[in-house]
Amino acid sequence: MTMYTYFGLMIAVSAIWTLWFVYRPLKANKVNLEGSNIALGKQKRSELEQDLEQGLIDKSEFDKAKEEITQTLALELSQADGGLSTSSKQNIPYWIIVLVLISLPVISLVTYNYLAPKHDVEKVDRHSSQQSAPSSLEQSIASIVQRLADNPGDSETWRVLGFAYFELGNLEESLNAYEQAYKLSPKDPELLVEYASTIISANDNKFVPQAVELIKQALEINPDAADALYLSGMLAVSMKDFDLAKGLWRRALASLPDSSPDRKTLENILAELEVITNTTPTSSTSITVSVDISEQVRNSRSKDDYLMIYAKAAKGIPMPIAIQKVKLKDFSGKVVLTDTNSVMSSNKLSQAGDVIIVARISSSGLAKKENNDIETSSQIIKSSKISKINLYLK
Amino acid sequence: MLVEIGHFALVLALTFAVLQVILPTIGFINHNSNLVQLTKPLLWGQFFWIFVAFAVLMNAFLVDDFTVKYVANNSNTELPILFKASAVWGAHEGSLLLWALILTSWSVAVSLFSKRLPSDVLNHVLIILGLISIGFLLFLLFTSNPFERLSFMPAQGRELNPLLQDFGLAVHPPMLYMGYVGLAVPFAFVLSSLIRGQLDSTWLRWSRPWSLIAWAFLTFGIVLGSWWAYYELGWGGWWFWDPVENASFMPWLIATALVHSLSVSEKRSAFKHWTVLLAISGFSLSLLGTFLVRSGILTSVHSFAADPARGLFILVFLVIVIGGSLSLYAWRATLMKSSNTFSLLSRESGLLVNNILLVAAMLSVFLGTLYPLLLDSLGLGKISVGAPYFDAVFVPIMIPAVIVMAVGPFLRWKKDTVVRISGILKVTWIVVIMMIGVSVFLIDNLFVLLATILFIWIMVHSIVIFVQRYLSKGAMGWSFIGMVLAHIGIGVFILGATVTTQYGVEKDIKMEVGETREIENYKFIFKGVNNFSEHNYQGFKGHVEVYFKGDKITDLKPEKRNYVSGMPMTEAAIDPSFYRDIYVALGEPLEKDAWSLRIYYKPLIRWIWLGGILMSLGALFASFDRRYRLRVKS
Repeated sequence: MTMYTYFGLMIAVSAIWTLWFVYRPLKANKVNLEGSNIALGKQKRSELEQDLEQGLIDKSEFDKAKEEITQTLALELSQADGGLSTSSKQNIPYWIIVLVLISLPVISLVTYNYLAPKHDVEKVDRHSSQQSAPSSLEQSIASIVQRLADNPGDSETWRVLGFAYFELGNLEESLNAYEQAYKLSPKDPELLVEYASTIISANDNKFVPQAVELIKQALEINPDAADALYLSGMLAVSMKDFDLAKGLWRRALASLPDSSPDRKTLENILAELEVITNTTPTSSTSITVSVDISEQVRNSRSKDDYLMIYAKAAKGIPMPIAIQKVKLKDFSGKVVLTDTNSVMSSNKLSQAGDVIIVARISSSGLAKKENNDIETSSQIIKSSKISKINLYLK
Repeated sequence: MLVEIGHFALVLALTFAVLQVILPTIGFINHNSNLVQLTKPLLWGQFFWIFVAFAVLMNAFLVDDFTVKYVANNSNTELPILFKASAVWGAHEGSLLLWALILTSWSVAVSLFSKRLPSDVLNHVLIILGLISIGFLLFLLFTSNPFERLSFMPAQGRELNPLLQDFGLAVHPPMLYMGYVGLAVPFAFVLSSLIRGQLDSTWLRWSRPWSLIAWAFLTFGIVLGSWWAYYELGWGGWWFWDPVENASFMPWLIATALVHSLSVSEKRSAFKHWTVLLAISGFSLSLLGTFLVRSGILTSVHSFAADPARGLFILVFLVIVIGGSLSLYAWRATLMKSSNTFSLLSRESGLLVNNILLVAAMLSVFLGTLYPLLLDSLGLGKISVGAPYFDAVFVPIMIPAVIVMAVGPFLRWKKDTVVRISGILKVTWIVVIMMIGVSVFLIDNLFVLLATILFIWIMVHSIVIFVQRYLSKGAMGWSFIGMVLAHIGIGVFILGATVTTQYGVEKDIKMEVGETREIENYKFIFKGVNNFSEHNYQGFKGHVEVYFKGDKITDLKPEKRNYVSGMPMTEAAIDPSFYRDIYVALGEPLEKDAWSLRIYYKPLIRWIWLGGILMSLGALFASFDRRYRLRVKS
């Protein structure tokens, strides 16, 4: 059955339900408003007498209160005449039945079609139901590409493709996809910032003019775009304009809701920026990481698997600060993490403060953790104070 | 396919809501009772389709259907099943769907349990509730649609905010919404009465139990929120005067005034203007609170700019609800004539004073909450209004309210005298003075002394009135028992809140493994920290042994978690008891194997929530009173 067949059934059930009560109306109860108010008036009088017995009202006031109850009831009974009442039981006119039979499908289907996704949801459902488990990134990309073949004018899908390629580490394809999305939606600030970030990543984390221009455009469209302000702050830091960076990040912080996890990241980098601006950063930080790998693990993994050893911030987004990646067959037992291994020039190990050291064996060597990866991590350490650390992968 | 069925079910619910308003209205105009009697079936149809939509969305979360944008944004495969279910209302769109479901649930309850209400009146009330439902369903479908689809299925969803991955937050929003939405019922009763021009005893009588139940849920929802904040945020606080908290507290204060005002209006036909305005403002504030919290305005005044459609809809809806109902009030105000008189010292005056104080307290919270937002949105600068303002303004307003509250039940209706009151309470006040005298010698803290005096004042008066009523063999209805219980709850709350604030000890200390610290006669031994990991987070688990008078009383294991999203979370370890809590939260690692720890000693903190639960139970008891089962002859 197609989706619209189900909708038809739902409309039919709704129509039958309504018409059933049109032909067999619910009986109104026998209580009328006057009767209700009279009964309540009597109850109030009886409660007043109880109050008198319990000494909750004085005798002289009791008489007044009794009189007031009578006056209130009289007023209510006079008001009842002017209210709405439906004493007559007439058959429901045919035009009402026609109205119900027309309005149920018309209102529902017109509203649904206005709101419904513009893409073929049944196809998406079929595709997703074929996936017994969440797909891999490669499978997702294949699905997105297929989708774009049908609808190449969907900028959101181009954008998602760009992001997926970025996650996969294929920056060239990511840039192509973002370029397509940008051509279709040049006024989407979120897209502009994502595109700019990818350009920066593809240029060894340098703020090339094209990226700067995109960030500028994003901020012109939405001066409070947190992501754009964050990147502008990074640009300011790369130009050693720390005060400007602080100002931009504070603005970004102000525009984020309290529940946003990005707040912590911003608060941390703002705190670190305070430290950097108040002290001379040392470039001599180095952490020697020794990794013991159990025999069981060694035997279960290919020698071509990657061992990734990295330091990540203890708080906020767990983006690697400094990373070393070697194949298992080439691993000598330890690596040294220093500022030269930094992922971002503006966030070095020596400036990182609290970090966690992670060792992970991965078949793909991708940044994103996968199901069969084996990982261990250290406790939180101060990057400037700890020079050696041992990890054990079992 | 299933998702679209849910989506279509929500659209059908809107269609039913529209018919629920239009058809019976035509029936009223044409005096056709059969047509008016369609109100209930159409409401039930609306409820059924919203329930289907809700179940479909819940299913989408449980089966990780990331083709639904809302699911992909708020859940992932690693999320435990309980939190996948609670994630349905974890963000804006789903919480509005829950709102709509609860609103129709209340409406269905009204339709089923109002057999003593004339059918015409009941149908009219249900039409008003249908109108509110239309507003919400339109908002839901056109600006906050939880069934919005993605054109492909992402490999994985995002993470539900770790703060929401907790049992407390799974139950707190539904309870709070039950209270918020419940205030729609007295509002609908009032509006129906204003439209019909019949502001009579029927309206007052039958809206009262619904107001009490709504108030009970609202109280319980706020208590749950406070309890959650205490154990989940890692600061050991139970109330922060945070704008989001205030958004729920303002309707609570007004609803408190409403349940009292209703009692006078119903029994003595006085305060009708008050009651109407309180019912309107109670629901308006709950709408304002829901929208402020869920639209993000409270955390960022720029949310309107970020989503102009949503912001505009909110403004229009609020203007229609508040403006429309106030216009109706102005139109019908002359109908609320009352020749009932009462003297300066009477039960009516006592309740009036309490109402005025409660409204003044609400206005102080309103000012402190919205004024900074107004300044910010007008670009006039940022100001921060916090606990010092609220403590200085709110607390002094509430002290006289509490004093009057205890004596109020002894006052006579219409007229009383100081001589009579002091005569019957002479012994009570001597006992109170003696107990206060002892307290003065035992308590060295001015605030605790004041709280103890208020506690004694409330408790003694509550016990005396209960015993008096029992001995005089007077009516001991559920309403009376509920009142006494709720008033005792206030006393318990005041003492708990003040003692924990004044005598609580909070230590931020550095501890090395094996080190011992003594706080308030409790000995804490730090045994170290271990790594651990769960399916969607990893972190550190500390171990602290706690001894009292040489005996080990508990092992506390506070946690520090790092979730997949990178958001860190502190999970405090608590040893609870009736008299005190021991609370340990893990701070940061320091040099060598030392860690910073937050160790709190919180005396009587459980009394805060116990007080809230007593209040909530009191209102529930009162709503079951026999007088609400009055048989009306036709």
